[in-house]
Amino acid sequence: MKKIISLLLVAGIAFVSGCGKSDSSNSGSTTPDGGKKITVALMPKSKGNAYFISCKKGADKAAKELGVDLVFDGPTDPDPAKQNEIVENWITLGVDAIAVACENREGISTALRKAKAKGIKVITYDADALPDAREFFVNQATPEGIGFTLMDEAARLCGNEGEFAIITASLTAGNMIEWQKHIEARRADKYPNMKMIALRPCDDLKDKAQSETTALLSANANLKCIMAICSPGVPGAAEAVKQAGKTGKVKVLGLGLPNENRRYVHDGVTDSVILWNTEDLGYLAVFAADSLAKGTLKTGDKTIKVGSMGEYQIEGDSILLGKPFIFNKANIDQFDF
Amino acid sequence: MNTDKHGFKAILLRHETILLFVVLLEWLYFNSVGPRFGSVDNTFDIMRHSVEIGLLALVMTPIILTGGIDLSVGSLLGLCAILFGKFWRDAGMSIPLAAACTIGIGALAGGLNATLITWLRLPPLIVTLGTFSLFRGLAEAITRGADTFTNFPASFLFLGQERWLGIPAQAPIFILVAIGIWLLVHRTTFGRSFRAIGFAPEGTRYAGISVERRLAMAYVLAGIIAAVAAIIYTSRLGQAKADAGMGYELFAITAVVLGGTSIFGGVGTVHGTLLGVAAIAVLNNGLVHARQPREVAGMLTGLLLILALTSSIISKMLASLNARRQTSVTKPIIT
Repeated sequence: MKKIISLLLVAGIAFVSGCGKSDSSNSGSTTPDGGKKITVALMPKSKGNAYFISCKKGADKAAKELGVDLVFDGPTDPDPAKQNEIVENWITLGVDAIAVACENREGISTALRKAKAKGIKVITYDADALPDAREFFVNQATPEGIGFTLMDEAARLCGNEGEFAIITASLTAGNMIEWQKHIEARRADKYPNMKMIALRPCDDLKDKAQSETTALLSANANLKCIMAICSPGVPGAAEAVKQAGKTGKVKVLGLGLPNENRRYVHDGVTDSVILWNTEDLGYLAVFAADSLAKGTLKTGDKTIKVGSMGEYQIEGDSILLGKPFIFNKANIDQFDF
Repeated sequence: MNTDKHGFKAILLRHETILLFVVLLEWLYFNSVGPRFGSVDNTFDIMRHSVEIGLLALVMTPIILTGGIDLSVGSLLGLCAILFGKFWRDAGMSIPLAAACTIGIGALAGGLNATLITWLRLPPLIVTLGTFSLFRGLAEAITRGADTFTNFPASFLFLGQERWLGIPAQAPIFILVAIGIWLLVHRTTFGRSFRAIGFAPEGTRYAGISVERRLAMAYVLAGIIAAVAAIIYTSRLGQAKADAGMGYELFAITAVVLGGTSIFGGVGTVHGTLLGVAAIAVLNNGLVHARQPREVAGMLTGLLLILALTSSIISKMLASLNARRQTSVTKPIIT
């Protein structure tokens, strides 16, 4: 019995002292040129999400170019307290800047304020916290940008004239109403010969988008284009067009994710999938966090210089990623989310 | 003199002692890799982050000792959190009154579990699986999944986020509950009967003990403490939403089992549970300081659980082998 205990103890001591060694080898937290290496902590809404894995690709690129130490961590289970706990861990860990895609606007703000109070630079990206809890929000898309791009792309596909229909998630969803307003404004302003003939809700369901589109197709012989502004709507509409044998005759475009639409894009059913470039979003988030920590980005700045990508506009306290990104046959295979 | 030596050995080989070594090893290891791991700030972080699950694990212990289980505590935490928010924001109650009402609701919810288990003699697993869905469903229905309670007064947020007398403000509540439940389970005849029920419910009944009353008490207590945990959780996050405390019941059960309580009932201690909570909390926090990805935590918790359970069983087997070798065959084996 004594043997087992002493073995356990010896093993434990060996374990601890062995680990002590690895500590000294990576204790050099300075860059080769002697400056202090900046640590940026980046948090996704959830860790396994392909969308954020794509963001991380861009973030890694930025970290490499800037020579910052990037910590990427986020919740792996649905517990809403996890984001807070991770931020609190980062505070104790002593990171220089934190960039968070917030799952709970109010909840995360308490932890972010605490970080700010400790002198850590805080920004948000993808989904904002309360404005007083962070310095900047990296805004991936303004409603205006989304609305205008959708309308421009629809007009381009239709040759600037003809009938189109919109599939939305629900008639009451605030963000969708906002986008529709900008779609209509752009249409009235630039494409008077385009005519919106229907607006149908699909309840955020692919099946319903499909049946709604089928109904629209049989009721409107002159329909030239279907615009789906919720992500399940795009493959739903595409499936309906494909089954109706109208591939190429009725164009499909919408807001969605590349993976869900890849098949239809390759088959020529869906022409354009619109979203933002998630890699650029991750890149910009890390760059902004680093600039803030180094002091080259301050409240009130109107632009931010971002390495290889040029200058980005800042409106108030949101850094704008700029125009949405259009995924089509030519580029969709470069993205995996 | 032999018995004295045996006593010392027995203490060393107890599950709780082994677990204590595990916690110490974890501590030493993470302290050697993470320069800020051992800091006071971080120690308090660990405490703050484990209070709610710790409370649930504490009240889960008597329940598992009786051979039962309560899967509904995490959902009840969620329900209590949003009801607390509703009492305060929509009914205009003061924070203390809202808290008192919330605890009342917790007791009622625990009472529902207790009634179904003791009156209708339904298995606790089935009953609490039902209330697990029911409580969470109610929370989601009341808020339609979207309503979030926030903007609580600073005096309330103090409880979850600030320090009181130098320690996290919620720590005294946890310590009081821990002492209370330890005394209940280990120092009162009432509490000792939990283990008796777990060993042999029918036997306990024949011994003249009211099994129903004790079972009911354990489940009501779980409801009350789940409500307390909900209030602390709300204060720590500064928000109450229907998804509060999702999955906490499993963390609590893991901590209890890791702490050496038999899932079949009858065997286990409250201090074992506390060590189980500590082992998981230190691991979760330490991995961040060791710059290890979070998903490793789940894996290592599972490994730790399997390791701790097998090591204590193996050491028990070795001990009984030793005892058999040293004593004559006719003597009973002491485990």
